[in-house]
Amino acid sequence: MSAGDAAVMADKDATETPAVTEAASILKDENCEPVEKPENKCQPAVSTRKRPETRPSSDLEASELPAQQETASKDASQTGWGYWGSWGKSLLSSASATVATVGQGISNVIEKAETSLGIPSPTEISAEVKQAAGETSASENGSLLVSGPFGMLSTISTAVQSTGKSVISGGLDALEFIGKKTMDVIAEGDPGFKRTKGLMIRNSTLSQVLREAKDKEEQWPSNEVTMETDKKTHYGLLFDEFQGLSHLEALEMLSRESEIKVKSILSSLSGEELQTTRLELEQLKEAFSLAEFCEEEEEERQGDEDFTKEITELIAQLHVSSRPEKLARARNTAYEWIRTSLAKPVAEKEEGEKQLEAENTEEAQKHSIEDIHAFAIRSLAELTACSIELFHKTAALVLHGQKQEVTALERSQTLSQMTVMLCKDLASLSKEFTTCLTTAGVKEKADVLNPLITAVFLEASNSASYIQDAFQLLLPVLQISLIENKTESPDVSHQPRDL
Amino acid sequence: MAYAYLFKYIIIGDTGVGKSCLLLQFTDKRFQPVHDLTMGVEFGARMITIDGKQIKLQIWDTAGQESFRSITRSYYRGAAGALLVYDITRRDTFNHLTTWLEDARQHSNSNMVIMLIGNKSDLESRREVKKEEGEAFAREHGLIFMETSAKTASNVEEAFINTAKEIYEKIQEGVFDINNEANGIKIGPQHAATNASHGGNQGGQQAGGGCC
Repeated sequence: MSAGDAAVMADKDATETPAVTEAASILKDENCEPVEKPENKCQPAVSTRKRPETRPSSDLEASELPAQQETASKDASQTGWGYWGSWGKSLLSSASATVATVGQGISNVIEKAETSLGIPSPTEISAEVKQAAGETSASENGSLLVSGPFGMLSTISTAVQSTGKSVISGGLDALEFIGKKTMDVIAEGDPGFKRTKGLMIRNSTLSQVLREAKDKEEQWPSNEVTMETDKKTHYGLLFDEFQGLSHLEALEMLSRESEIKVKSILSSLSGEELQTTRLELEQLKEAFSLAEFCEEEEEERQGDEDFTKEITELIAQLHVSSRPEKLARARNTAYEWIRTSLAKPVAEKEEGEKQLEAENTEEAQKHSIEDIHAFAIRSLAELTACSIELFHKTAALVLHGQKQEVTALERSQTLSQMTVMLCKDLASLSKEFTTCLTTAGVKEKADVLNPLITAVFLEASNSASYIQDAFQLLLPVLQISLIENKTESPDVSHQPRDL
Repeated sequence: MAYAYLFKYIIIGDTGVGKSCLLLQFTDKRFQPVHDLTMGVEFGARMITIDGKQIKLQIWDTAGQESFRSITRSYYRGAAGALLVYDITRRDTFNHLTTWLEDARQHSNSNMVIMLIGNKSDLESRREVKKEEGEAFAREHGLIFMETSAKTASNVEEAFINTAKEIYEKIQEGVFDINNEANGIKIGPQHAATNASHGGNQGGQQAGGGCC
């Protein structure tokens, strides 16, 4: 496996080199776009996301973990993974550019970065993190050495995609930012970075880029050997399998059409009416800026019931008949899998030692690191697809013009909360998965384990970007619903009107 | 997994004629008598083989309810094939065909292949629309026609596959510009790799977000 991997990686290096330069050229193109300013204002109305934490399940989990593991993840979250709370927002919504290399593509860029740009070894980075965080005991811990730097690299690599040139040419300099508030710093060097945040102004649509990326990946099996594994761990293919791509495409269609309607209505307005409408649309837009993402350090993950309850409540606030069951089920299944997976090595550890050394127990163990990796990618793809389906359905139902007991602004705020919640949940899910990986892979060599961990983080950050982009697609939909609700007198029938 | 072509289909027609059941029968080979109302659109996909080529059908199953009309119309764009379904036991669903057809023609590309489907052919005793009527309507409007039963699976495969064959023939005849995705046809990755005329594939992909 490892030899094969290495071969594949080497190949990828060769074939993927253009990705780096292209990323840079994309950036350049973006820079010349005359676009609107970013919305950086925090939207106070959305701050209700905070909730009291009751975490029976994480307590349970902790008790199942070996003491060492427990400290490991704690340390990790304080140092290496600490800034993950902010990853969602900083990993920006410039996904359209980013996703051009969905999946392996991105990992190649990292490989590239790691090998050819002279980025410090994991150990070195880890030391930096430790310093930055003022943690002295952390580096003693084996799993931090692995997890810390890879959390970072996933952040960096995404930055590579979006900021392209500056990171690549900046090389090591860019890395030194890590451990502080990474992305904010990187963003300073790149106006395009902030500008793209929260906006989807591109010629190619997100689903198109995704589809292309997927197709490109689909070609691989024909020239490469690792067909089966590729398929099982291919985020893009899985995302499509779960109909994520279709829902995204459909959402884009609704969004685009709404946008056209909004524009045509605005152009028919004048004077005071135009002013007030503009103002209201502006308020809506602010609700879509997701700025509050930045402030909060990450919360502990929620229990399954909490998640289901909260998402159900949020949807109830929307007053549309979307149903979150599918999403909640997929999400809870993933966590359940992790629980059993983490429970296993504990039981096996005592009598497992000699087993592991004496014979090759890869087959005997229930979840190999490859299994975990595959399941992690699959779960992320499924959850993302479900989330996007939820957004798409919401868009359809908002347009359907059901009774509006809530204003478009209130809906926007709720959707914004939902986006934050989904992204945070993905972040903690990916952390759980990497904990699984480090636990199951203690005996593995770093060059086998690390790429898997990297891949999980990368796809998690991509997932969050897709969800945020899908969220942005809802803006025109809510705008048109706001306008139509305004112009319709309250007792007119609620049938949707043809425009 | 890899396909030569991908065709986008839409399924349209009045509510309750069995659109979702046809899709389920085609993709999962099962029948579900009680079905939730489709909200907006649902999706299904299946691989078929035509002329030795793997073709992926990506099917958009739209809501039939009148109140969803303006939304479902948004989804018509970029479909290569449409299944226009009525219920042979409900005359009104047949009477509405003209409206559906106008809608479809107006909101999708002109080359779209349309298959007219009289569903519920297992309910012969309750039949309200004669098969000949369906045939006549199809002839008049240049559609392909079939009676199906999503329940017994009769003609379901054929309906989907014959539509694909028609599209495939149109491609062979050069009627469809396969490089224009607005036509609802996409060349599969493998095909594209060996297809010189579709060069620029590699470069074009990442440049997607590029030009302003």
